[in-house]
Amino acid sequence: MPYRANAMICTCTNCISNGSLQIKDALEAEIRRSGLETDILIVPTGASGLCVRGPILVVQPDGIFYQKLKKEDVPHLVEEHFLKGRPVKDLMYVPPGEQAPVPELRDIPFFKDQRLIALRNRGMIDPDKIEEYIARDGYKALAKALTQMKPEQIIEEIKASGLRGRGGAGFPTGAKWEFCRKSKGAPKYVICNADEGDPGAFMDRSIIEADPHSILEGMAIGGYAIGASKGYIYVRIEYPLAIERMETAVSQAREYGLLGEDILGAGFDFDVEIFRGAGAFVCGEETSLIASIEGRPPEPRIRPPFPAEFGLWEKPTNINNVETWSNVPVIINWGAKWFSEIGTETSKGTKVFSLAGNINNAGLVEVPMGITLREIVYDIGGGIPWDKKFKAVQTGGPSGGFIPSHLLDMPVDYERLKEVGAIMGSGGMVVMDEDTCIVDIAKYFLQFTNDESCGKCTACREGSEVLLKILDKISKGEGEETDLIILEELGNAIKEASMCGLGQTLPNPVLSTLLHFKDEYEAHIKYKRCPAAVCKGIISSPCQHTCPLEQDVPCYVSLIAQGKFEQAIEIVKEKNPLPSVCGRVCTATCEAKCRAGERGGDAISIRMLKRFLADYEREKGLHIMPKPKQSRPERVAIVGSGPAGLTCAYYLALEGYQVTIYESLPVAGGMLTVGIPDYRLPRNILDWEVENIKSLGVDIKTNTTVGIDIRLQDLWSKYEAVLIATGTHKGLKMNIEGEESPQVIDAVDFLRSINLGREVEIGQRVAVIGGGDAAIDAARVAKRLGKDVKILYRRTRREMPAAKEEVEGAIEEGIEIQFLVVPVRVLSENGQLKGIECVRMELGDVDKSGRRRPVPIKGSEFTMDIDTLMPAIGQQPDPSAVPSDKHLKTSKANTIEVSPDTLYSGMNGVFAGGDIVSGPSTVTSAMAQGKFAAKMIHKYIQELPMEWEYKVTVPIAHVEAVELTDKELEELQKPSMPLLSLEERSGNFKEVELGFTEEMAIKEAKRCLRCDLEMEEEGTTS
Amino acid sequence: MAKIKPGDLDKIGETIKRTMLLREGTGRAKVIVHMGTCGIAAGARTVMKALMDEIESREVNDVILTISSCAGLCSREPMVTVELMGEPAVKYVDLTPEKAKRVFEEHVLGGKIVTEYALAAGSERTL
Repeated sequence: MPYRANAMICTCTNCISNGSLQIKDALEAEIRRSGLETDILIVPTGASGLCVRGPILVVQPDGIFYQKLKKEDVPHLVEEHFLKGRPVKDLMYVPPGEQAPVPELRDIPFFKDQRLIALRNRGMIDPDKIEEYIARDGYKALAKALTQMKPEQIIEEIKASGLRGRGGAGFPTGAKWEFCRKSKGAPKYVICNADEGDPGAFMDRSIIEADPHSILEGMAIGGYAIGASKGYIYVRIEYPLAIERMETAVSQAREYGLLGEDILGAGFDFDVEIFRGAGAFVCGEETSLIASIEGRPPEPRIRPPFPAEFGLWEKPTNINNVETWSNVPVIINWGAKWFSEIGTETSKGTKVFSLAGNINNAGLVEVPMGITLREIVYDIGGGIPWDKKFKAVQTGGPSGGFIPSHLLDMPVDYERLKEVGAIMGSGGMVVMDEDTCIVDIAKYFLQFTNDESCGKCTACREGSEVLLKILDKISKGEGEETDLIILEELGNAIKEASMCGLGQTLPNPVLSTLLHFKDEYEAHIKYKRCPAAVCKGIISSPCQHTCPLEQDVPCYVSLIAQGKFEQAIEIVKEKNPLPSVCGRVCTATCEAKCRAGERGGDAISIRMLKRFLADYEREKGLHIMPKPKQSRPERVAIVGSGPAGLTCAYYLALEGYQVTIYESLPVAGGMLTVGIPDYRLPRNILDWEVENIKSLGVDIKTNTTVGIDIRLQDLWSKYEAVLIATGTHKGLKMNIEGEESPQVIDAVDFLRSINLGREVEIGQRVAVIGGGDAAIDAARVAKRLGKDVKILYRRTRREMPAAKEEVEGAIEEGIEIQFLVVPVRVLSENGQLKGIECVRMELGDVDKSGRRRPVPIKGSEFTMDIDTLMPAIGQQPDPSAVPSDKHLKTSKANTIEVSPDTLYSGMNGVFAGGDIVSGPSTVTSAMAQGKFAAKMIHKYIQELPMEWEYKVTVPIAHVEAVELTDKELEELQKPSMPLLSLEERSGNFKEVELGFTEEMAIKEAKRCLRCDLEMEEEGTTS
Repeated sequence: MAKIKPGDLDKIGETIKRTMLLREGTGRAKVIVHMGTCGIAAGARTVMKALMDEIESREVNDVILTISSCAGLCSREPMVTVELMGEPAVKYVDLTPEKAKRVFEEHVLGGKIVTEYALAAGSERTL
């Protein structure tokens, strides 16, 4: 009876470990129960490639792709699909970030961009049935080779095809065969190298599991071409399923006379033996592999002589990798010309990669050479999970290198990879996101090769040990600047002095990261910073380490969990003079790195917990401040009362100095006051915080502009030191035609006027340009004034720098955001703005910021009728507000240039800090500069060396962990922030976020994972 | 198992060609039996059985027989869609096993549409 459908159930190692054999049993039972056993054939297959979605079932002929199957799904599936012909949507694949399932395999992006040669039979045949392999042109190439081709012709064909070794080195396969064929000596041997050992690589295993005969056929053809009658397949013993399938394949091939004597009656004898390797990485090296088969310790020897002359049992031997062998029959069947048309100039055909790491569609992919890394990572791989940023892709495993984001558009071939310090390798491709530390990952690979070094060569054995020790030292924050030179010199020395590929390539992970990510090593060594917040010896906890103010987050959060609010406030105030502000407007880098938020979890609401403490202090009328040191006579002037100025004043006052702040505006607070709207940061709360700082003796002179009301020179002659922290209060121009219209109002100016209570006239239809916080603020303020507001942003939502909650809030309040749009001309009539001409954009290549550059789409211009245009595309210092002096250096962007290590301008005790130095940045970054400036000013005044000793992050105190009951553990859940309802927000500036209650705060604080304690423990035991 | 000669490879392939065609989804013809509840109630399974018998007894190797759900015209079930490669699909209605056998012989094998059973030409995807 013919079957009307084939149920192709994946039985690769991965799917089996996810329960695919149970699914297969359940399918069989259910199909029998429904009386469909003559209609539906169940076929076990090798890996489909999308292993991360297993167990996988593909129903043919329609190619319906089911994923993540569970035993319980089977009855419904059989009834719906097999009985009633209705494919089950719930079990289909949904691409990341989308909602609609993609029913057919060939439409799934992961599959549709692949090109299968080595994996031509994957998912199409039962690997245990030789007839199915034969039905898909199996062994035809062998028949053709034996009956129609001379060995030399085969070698010529392989040479002409351009096939190169897929094991990693990329040596031309045809030339290798020829070398061996011409070698004197008999018998000759061919070997299949299936000693796959790179971490994260499983190409060879999958090919054997899916299509073992393709390798046998390739080897038999190779044997015939070279003149060998015996072949070995060297598989590591950790691959039991691959071994089992290969054994079955070998015995079936023998039965059919496709192995053994007089193959296909053509007079050629060839047989293979499967050799189980014990799983040593060094056996991937050919001379070690040969030693292992011969029963000797697997150690390499010097080449030449190459195995082609002097190989197994001292006889001429040809070794190729699994993937190379499986390509051979296709080349013979389809011809060298066909094959060589695929790929690039130097790299022909396809390459199988195992895509692993931080990638949505982890799995096995086969792609034409020359495809870009971006296509592999984003189109096939589906991008990075949880919208994290791409950092690097690592190819070639422990022998390979790291490729950074700006090279993502590079085509993949042997030469190009080598040029950028990586290698093709056997096909491991590990994708890393922004949370991967380069030093840590280099250490990981070095640890691996150090373990796997056979020990024969001193350079490899001892050298890897030294490299590892240096990396370990750097990851603990104990690195020295000379370490980088040693790493590089030693790395190159190991390459030269090692006998085999293991030693010759083991420094690559270090050398290639030094090439592309040197700044990250320097951050560890010089600044004791781990930018990815990974290295335990440096970071204590990711939240504390990432905070520009190094707030002791786990300590105060844990104290909140214990209800010890006052103690918690004390800890906060040690490092942050503006917790009410930060609790409201901080960008919370801590939450982005929170371990509880990994893999789609909910980060601890750190910002909200800080706000809770600050509100608690204010509402209870407490006044918790660190105790100032004894008063000193020296005086310091600060120009600007924004976050940098206030923070600097706070720490100088605590140190005992007499501080005066000069502020040109009528109110203190700088951008906090005039840049941020009241509904995010109510004025009375900010004022309370400023009053706290004043209570330390800080004097704030408002309405006083330095440079107009008082000269800078007067300040430095009257004060021991001066800090300039005037911020960036001037909006950037768009540089488009018609911009000078009076109805074009800069968002920063608009916000300032509103915040100072001044009247601003704007039209009914407002368009705000930009994607940052200022754009959102201006739009939401205009909306509150009753206007119709649109935001136009030139990139997509993913690239928007504004806080996520703010963007959501704006949309909720009825503000329309148009993405990929940019204004090109302002249209005015009789001095009245009528509209703007815009152009649509698309995303092109990646720019320096790691984001894809928006490029205008030709002919997509359109006009938009508006009355007021508000650019919010960036800020710079207002030159009229910066106290000038001919000795003070300024940049093209009008920022002040000071020494980055001291913030000192080099003259007359004048320092500068905050946005005026860094350009527009976050509140906490400005505060961190203010704090640092205070330390430097103190050193300057006390005539101490102006140096700063950077230290690893340590918690301020030890706070015991809170013991949770089972019930509490079960109920742990992030509380949602109470918000003012939409109706209550309209037409006023009432605060939108309402803050946590005491009960909510305690509950939320209990979710903290206390990473600091883990680090403490590791620190004491190691 | 006897040792094989080069010419035997095609013979081995031929024995399971039908199965492989099904997997590759690229037969000369595709015959879809609509097996929604309506179709089954009206006798689609007997139509299916008849078509399977035809394929078996005539040793047809290049035709894919598959099923789909209700075609939307429940009153005219059992229905079958015949798709010959490169030609528009044809829907047949009110079928019986006998009528189905005739459609198979004349249209699927002979390439000539059985107009008296046909509803209309037009393509439809299974999903």
